[in-house]
Parts: sequence; structure tokens; C-alpha cells
Amino acid sequence: MTLTSRKIAFAATTALTLAATAAFAEDVPPWCGPESATLALLDGSGGNSWRQITSASAREEAEKCPSITDFFYADGQGDTQKSISDIKSFAARGVDAMVVFGDAGPAVLPALTAAHRAGVTVVPYRQQVGGEEGVNYAKFVSASFVSDGVNFGNFIKREFPDGAKMLFLSGPAGNSVGLEMLEGLNSVLDERYEYLNPAPFHVTNWDPALTQQVLTAEIAKHPQIDVIISDYGASLIGGLPAFERNGRSIPAITTESVNLLGCFWQDKQANNPDFKLLTRGGGNENGRLAAQWAIALATGGTPPETSVYTSEIFEDSVTGDPSEVQCRRDLPGEIYLSAKLSPEKQLEAINQ
Amino acid sequence: MKTANNAPYGTMPPSLFSRDRLSFELGTVLLSTLALIVLCMIFAPSSITSGALAGSLPFAAVAVIVSLGQMLVVQQGGFDLSVPGAISLAVVISTHYPAGNDAELLPAVLLALTFALGAGLFNGILIGVVRLNAIVATIGTNALLYGGVIAISGGVPRTTTPLLSRIAGGEFLGLGYTVWYALAIVLLVSIVLKKTVAGRRYEGIGANPAMARTVGLRVRSYEISAYVSAQLLYCLAGILLAGLTSQPTAFLGNSYLLPSVAIVVLGGTSLMGGRGFPVPTALAAFFLTQLGQFSITIGVPFSAQTIIQALALGLGIAIYSFRRN
Repeated sequence: MTLTSRKIAFAATTALTLAATAAFAEDVPPWCGPESATLALLDGSGGNSWRQITSASAREEAEKCPSITDFFYADGQGDTQKSISDIKSFAARGVDAMVVFGDAGPAVLPALTAAHRAGVTVVPYRQQVGGEEGVNYAKFVSASFVSDGVNFGNFIKREFPDGAKMLFLSGPAGNSVGLEMLEGLNSVLDERYEYLNPAPFHVTNWDPALTQQVLTAEIAKHPQIDVIISDYGASLIGGLPAFERNGRSIPAITTESVNLLGCFWQDKQANNPDFKLLTRGGGNENGRLAAQWAIALATGGTPPETSVYTSEIFEDSVTGDPSEVQCRRDLPGEIYLSAKLSPEKQLEAINQ
Repeated sequence: MKTANNAPYGTMPPSLFSRDRLSFELGTVLLSTLALIVLCMIFAPSSITSGALAGSLPFAAVAVIVSLGQMLVVQQGGFDLSVPGAISLAVVISTHYPAGNDAELLPAVLLALTFALGAGLFNGILIGVVRLNAIVATIGTNALLYGGVIAISGGVPRTTTPLLSRIAGGEFLGLGYTVWYALAIVLLVSIVLKKTVAGRRYEGIGANPAMARTVGLRVRSYEISAYVSAQLLYCLAGILLAGLTSQPTAFLGNSYLLPSVAIVVLGGTSLMGGRGFPVPTALAAFFLTQLGQFSITIGVPFSAQTIIQALALGLGIAIYSFRRN
């Protein structure tokens, strides 16, 4: 090979390498750094479709980063002891980063702290676990439900400018989702907007049977309910036909989006003139944000701008902005059309 | 030796609404229920309107079916703590397998019943033959059943099929189908317990197993049959519950364990075993459900709702204890 041809070969190789690097850089998100790392996603209680779709979303996010060499998942199955032992065993196996949904709250903090001290990048998300950033874990990726309350409040104000009678349902007594949402609602609505439920919200434990019983009692008691506010839309559906049984229209509803609810609205809206629907996104992207943080910190990437997840409005049946109410009858009711994860991948996630 | 809680075996008139002591149990529950209805009329009139009852009665009916299962076990001096797992498994099987497809519903229901049969036999053999403590054995079975829930579905039930929704949620003569099913089951359990030879033996064995063994009754078989029948009833309740709630969760059974025991006690069946009271038990299930609706309607906080129910239960137990002593 002559010197010239060598030069050409070298130039060509360099050009190819540079082009490949550029292409690689374009595909790799900024939160994905150059150092390789392994990632574990630890769920405290993975037994519902929301969790499985959220976990699958986090996994899809991790797959965007070539520096992540291995991805693990463990489900605490609602058992605090198992959640703690999952955290400890993954720390002992030497994973570099862990994203933890700490359902058991502060009970998992000692295990998280031990993992953090052992050098694991620990990122708890969504559920408060107590402790401090930098001391007990690397970063807490929270979710704010205040903005949901504000969005819901603005919708209520727009549809009922002169005040409304409202029914607010949330999960277990004292849960932070309901309390934060109430804070958001109260920041927008004045005293013309009256809550029909006992303060701060009707306890339903997110149990569809209990929700149905609460709704039944309230529908019979109050001849006028203008709007129902809930943080778990699917659980409402069983109770709503009680309005029709009493010869009334289903009222306006603000809640979380899910395929089943969208289809229910499409079926019922013609005969229920007051049935307006505003939904927020399912919040599955909270898992993505947590994964981004963990990967950024473990691989030396640039962390996302915020560590607080807020969900956006997804459907508004009145304005159609940002979307009309959506329903895919070919898909199961528990699919979140608001999630970035494709419906097919969601199906795969819940069928595991 | 365990002693009979009330009338000794052989002296009771075999009647559905017998005249002597049974009237006390029925009378107590009936009076309490009437008192509650009067309270509802005064303080929470909306909770006894037809609309409200149409919504709450189906859940009371599910509670009736579950409690009758628990009653059958309690009659044999046992305790069934596998109620949550059994109900949840039935919910998951009857929604996960069909996945919204009506044609798959029947096989799914049959599968759920098969599992229930298996779980009942398992409980029955552990307790009746191996002589394990009922509480310990059924806690174990509950964990196994929940294992089944997770294994089958990953903990994710699916949306109810339209057919199941109609089967559970439809109405006949103004009452939900579920209520009719519950009434039929109460009647069936009452007739079998009070009017058949097997039923009389069943109560006799519960009241005094040692004596029953002495006279040559097949005590073990009857004990096993208690757990099997109970599981079948929980399974039925779970399937109906799946039909009543459009999108059930995998853990719907959790909220039925304590109420099932409470209802059996309020219905007058002694935790020591012996005679069972299907009709008062059914009334007690209505009482407890209506009490819940009453406290929701008068608008007290959730904490107070729990306290009101606990007080009612305490009062019920106190009345029976006072009477027996």
C-alpha cells in the first residue's frame, strides 16, 4: 500500500468514526453519560397495571442509554420486608444505580441509606420516604399533584363560573396525592365552590367497591352534584350509572385518564348532557424522569432540569384541547393512552 | 372437650325459623336493623331511598354470600382467614382470562370454581385430617391463593366482560340480580342446614364433635365439607364482585375478611361452633352495609365511620355474651 493510499484509508476511517460518533451523540440523550453502569428498578408494590406500565416506561427510557449495560427489576409485592431485602440484595450485588418506588415510605429509608453509603446512586421517586438528598439517597424525584388540582380547579371555574357543588374522592385517609390536589383546587376556587364530602376528601382506599358505595350514598343524598373530582378515574365507572337510575345526568368529572373511562364517556355523553370530562395524563412518565436522574448521576450525564414531575392535561371534552376524549376499543380498558409507551408495549407489560 | 354453645344437639326443632332460642338471634338482628332504618329515616333519609338501596344492596348481597361461607366454617368451630385470597383469586380469574371476551367467561368461571374446590379441600384436609389449627392453616392458604393471584395475572385483573357485568348488575323486579342470587343462597343454606338429615348432623357435629364421633358420624368429612362449601361461596361472591365493579383491583377481597367474621357474630352464630343462623346472618350483612351507608350519608369523617361500625359490633357481641352467660 502506498503512502497516499494509506493516508486515504486513514482519512476515510477517521471520517467514518467521526460520523458514527456524531450519529451516536445525536441519538444519545444528554442525561446519558459516558461511564457504563447497571440499573435496578425496585417497586414496592407492582401489582397493578399502572405500576407495570410505569416500570416498562422507565425501562424503555433506560434502553435509550447505551451506557446502561444491564437492567434489573424486582417487585416488593406490597410487603415491606421484601422491599427492604430487595434494596439490600441489589446493593450487595453491586448495581450502580437504583430507582425505587418506596411504597412503605420511611420504613425503607434505612435500607436506602445503607445502599447510598455503599456507593449506589439511589433515586427514590413519587412516594415520600423521608430523609435528605445527599445524606440518605442521591436524589428524590417527586410528583406534584398541586398542579393537577390547579388544572382541575381552572376547568371547574371555566365550566361553572358562578360556583359549583363538588364531590372530591381520593384514596386512603391522609394520602398525600389527595391532600396536594386539594391544595391546588383551593388555590383556584373560592367559597362559591362547595365541597359536599367530609373534609378533606371522601376516603375510598382507591377500592372500586368502596368508591361505588360512597358514590351511591352521595348521589341519593344530594339532588345537585355539579362535578366529581377524583384521582383514580377507573374506579368511578361502576358508580356512575346510579345517576341515570335516578333520572339525572352524569355530572362533569375531572380525574385521571384511562382507556376505559374514555370509552365510557363516548358511550354515555349523548344521553348525559352534563357529562363533561377533563383528564390529566396517567403520570406514567414519572418513572422515566426518575430513570433519567439515576442514569445521569450514575453515568456522568447531564441531569434533567427538574426533579419534580407534573402531569399535563390530557383530554378536555369541551374544548378538545389538547385532545378530544380518546377511546381505543381494540385495547383493554386499563391501557393509558396518555402514556408515551406505545399501547402494544403497554399490553406486553401488563401481560407479563 | 368443646361444649355446645347453646341448645344441645338433638333437642332443636328442625325449622327454618324455629320457635325458642332461634327467635332470640333473629329478633336481635331484626330489632337492630329496624332501629337502624328508623335512624336512617330521621338522620339520613336519602340512604334508604330506592336509588341508594339499588346501589348498596348488591354489595350487601356479596357480603351475605361471603358471610354464609364464614358461618359454615365457624359452625364447625373453625375460622377461615383465606377469605381475601379466595375472593381476589375469583375476581382475577373471572376478569383476566376472558379479557373482555364474553365467550371466554364460562370457562373462566369454571376454572375459578375448580380453584375454589381445590383450596377448600386443601383447607379441609389440613384442618379436618392433619388437625392443624384453623387460623394457622387458613392464613397459609390465603398466602397461597394470593400467590395464585399474582402468578395468574401479575396482580392485574382486567376490565369486566359485558356479560359478567349484566349477570351481576342487571335488575329484576327492582332488585339487582346479585340480591336475588344472595336470597336464593340463603334459602338453600337454610333448607340444607335445617331441613335435611345431613344439615342436622352438620350442626350437631359443630356443637359437639366428640359426641358426634361417638355416635359414629363422619366428623372429618363434614369438617372438610365446611371449608369446601365456604370456598365455593367466596368464589361466587368474588365473581359477582368482579361483575359489579367495572375495573376491579387484584385485592378486592381484603375488605371482606373482618366484616365476614363480624357479620357471623352479629348473626348470632357462636365462635365456639354449633348452630348456624343463615337468615339472621343475612340480615346482619345488610345491617353492617347499611350502617356504612348511614355513616357516609350523615357525612362523618372516615375515622368516625370506622368507630361507629366497631361500636355496633361490640354492642352485638355484648348482647349475645350477656344472654349466653
